[in-house]
Amino acid sequence: MSLKSYSRARAVHVMLVYTGGCNGCDIEIVNCVLSPKFDIEQYKIFLTWNPREADVLVVTGPVTKHNKEPLKAIYEAIPEPKAVIAAGACALMGGVYKNIHGDIPSEEICGPVDEIIPVDAKVPGCAVRPEDVLAGAVAALPLLLEAM
Amino acid sequence: MDNDNKITDETRNEQEIETEVPMGTVHSAALEPYRIRLFVEDEIVRDAEMTIGVNHRGIERIMEGLPVEKANSLTEKICGICSNSHIWNSVLVAEKALEIEVPERALYIRIIMEELERLHSHMLYLAHGNEVLGHETFSMRLFYIRETVMELLRMIGGNRVQYGVPVIGGIRPRADLNEMRIQRLTEGMDFVEEKITDFAERFVADPMIMSRITGVGVISKEDALRLSATGPTLRATGVAVDLRRDMKEYDPFEFDVITQDDGDVKSNLLMRVLEIPESIKIIRQAIKALPEGPITNRSWEMQDVTITKSYIEVPRGKLYHSYSLDEGRVRNVIVRTPSITNIGAMEHACIGNHITDAQLAIVQCDPCFTCTDRAIQIIQL
Repeated sequence: MSLKSYSRARAVHVMLVYTGGCNGCDIEIVNCVLSPKFDIEQYKIFLTWNPREADVLVVTGPVTKHNKEPLKAIYEAIPEPKAVIAAGACALMGGVYKNIHGDIPSEEICGPVDEIIPVDAKVPGCAVRPEDVLAGAVAALPLLLEAM
Repeated sequence: MDNDNKITDETRNEQEIETEVPMGTVHSAALEPYRIRLFVEDEIVRDAEMTIGVNHRGIERIMEGLPVEKANSLTEKICGICSNSHIWNSVLVAEKALEIEVPERALYIRIIMEELERLHSHMLYLAHGNEVLGHETFSMRLFYIRETVMELLRMIGGNRVQYGVPVIGGIRPRADLNEMRIQRLTEGMDFVEEKITDFAERFVADPMIMSRITGVGVISKEDALRLSATGPTLRATGVAVDLRRDMKEYDPFEFDVITQDDGDVKSNLLMRVLEIPESIKIIRQAIKALPEGPITNRSWEMQDVTITKSYIEVPRGKLYHSYSLDEGRVRNVIVRTPSITNIGAMEHACIGNHITDAQLAIVQCDPCFTCTDRAIQIIQL
């Protein structure tokens, strides 16, 4: 293992992108980072808001029409190697917004996420539990480390 | 900042403000996607323009024609922070329209859920505010206290975010409170009160934070009323308006309406710190006087009714739901959340501040843009 990959494996940066869900998954993921109970930083995973220094992209929400292009742009701005985690029922299959409707189906949803960008790990739940997010983030790490 | 200096759309070109700082839709300083344009002169924000609509999912449209029970549980998915408020108000509309009597015990448990939600929402606000201020220690401390409330919500509702407790005629059987749950609730409230008092003492005594937040993002009383601010944002300017005083569900409980005077970030943050003990007080009264008896009234019949409205006070202000019922299906759904009426106050709070304080000025109004983005009509030109 080279020095670069040795050090990089110990500072994995996660970027959270929010594409129009209900905020529930979003806050549970921030909770993962900031709450002392879960504390994702003990696994050497840090939250960042800058795509150029991120390694892992966490996407929540069903990807609304207006969020499709920004999501692609963010994905492309992340340097290789990168991994994508789709978190929550909306990111996995469009959630209630895409699948439940009365007379008129919603035309606003472009999701799920894997139709727009490639997804490496999937975290189920509505809303996701912080424990599952930890497990998903840790599961995505080998993908990054092998590529280095 | 008085209104005469405010730059309107007409005067913007005349005054030649050249520097515009656009933020969004996805920006590192903002948690949720929205767009704000800041018109800057010497690093002082002279005007701000906020655009929402990125989160638009058309939830009112997909609710049209759903059975009322299903539509109620869909309203919960409007927001992940105040999910109980939405389902509660939506259920209240149906109960008002169909004239359903709700058992006392169910009413008390609904109040307990709502106040627990207010606790976690206010603590999230304080944690987010402190994170924007750059004080991550306080932020982590508040998330630590909030975790207790989240566990209590999971204990009652079965989920940490979408609890789905109210149903038409009462509450879900799962959410009934037994001896063990009441004991855990009492212990939880003691813990939260002790820790939040400790936090409040440290917060007020911190000279760095106090000097950072005093006088930033001021909204005067007149402006708040003119811009239709609601909830804690309005109360922080000195207007004692709380819809809980007028709701018959809150009649058995005693609590104070907290107000602050200045309308700046300090008033807004202290507002929430002082509202947390009031919510704990209501929960304690509800636990103490929890009536025995059934939790659901199943003897009601579906009828066709015209548009019925309901207003309740939620953590962020006044929430409005209305719909009509036609053969058991909902029609003409309208939801208006408090954040949309607070947008004017958010824009106004930015004006006159340094550009680095703009994000803080927006955060002080407790924005929730996922709630807000529903009823926007997209017109193809």
